[in-house]
Amino acid sequence: MEIKVKEILSEETEYIEIGCHRRDSRVEEIIRFVKLHQGTIEATKQEKQYQIPLSEIYYIEAVDDKTFIYLSKSCYESHKRLYEFEELLADRSFARISKSVVVNLMKITSIKPALNGRFLCQLKNNENVIISRKYVAEIKERLRG
Amino acid sequence: MKERIKEILNSFFITVTLINVAMLILGKLLEPTQVFGYEAFMYPLIYGLIGTIPSIVIRDKKELSVKQELIRKVMNMLLIIVLMLAFMFGGREITSELIAAAVGVAISIVIIFVLVNLIIWWLDLKTAKDMTEDLLKYQEKQENAIR
Repeated sequence: MEIKVKEILSEETEYIEIGCHRRDSRVEEIIRFVKLHQGTIEATKQEKQYQIPLSEIYYIEAVDDKTFIYLSKSCYESHKRLYEFEELLADRSFARISKSVVVNLMKITSIKPALNGRFLCQLKNNENVIISRKYVAEIKERLRG
Repeated sequence: MKERIKEILNSFFITVTLINVAMLILGKLLEPTQVFGYEAFMYPLIYGLIGTIPSIVIRDKKELSVKQELIRKVMNMLLIIVLMLAFMFGGREITSELIAAAVGVAISIVIIFVLVNLIIWWLDLKTAKDMTEDLLKYQEKQENAIR
């Protein structure tokens, strides 16, 4: 695919245009990537599609083969796998804290010890998520910058 | 794996230290004139090893909730009591003295188990406080970057 970048006047609205023969999975992937960089991700709820702003996400959880996105009081489903979110959101204040959870570090209010070398993150909506032993060192490193 | 080994070693050395303290206190109270050979140094290590066997054997594939973890801890402790009693009194004839000694050992194990977990929890509490402080700084830095 050829890439063309055209500089436009500052008063014009910036845009991205994709010229393709058909809208296949490859094109959908590029669209998702661009949307993510604009600060939103695609998710579904009761078969309707939504654009979820990253700043509203509390955590993302994988349950069996499904991935759920949790906001303050609502939950959406995504077709993406958890490791994809982990990679995509790594530079956006999100961090993997256990085998099944990626959390928004900006939504944590405090960290408390749980049992067995694990830690409990209290979120701004009073929910709790666990940092498993395996990820503690990584999280410490990430928070220290 | 590295974290697991670190945790097991942590628990082993705290257990050995507390067994030493328990042996000192119980010995002073019950048998103050008793004399031991060098083999006495081995017992805290053996008991410490027996105490860590359940943590080595039992592995959780799934992430447990705090409640499930508490239940697992209690089961872990009961298993240690059974192992320790079998090691210390296994094969002996059951008498009232043996039962009294076994009850004493079981109570000591419960006290040591609770103390080991309290010390580990206290160390984790300090880590959690440091992490919370780092988290608040991180959040402030991120918010300033957005503005």
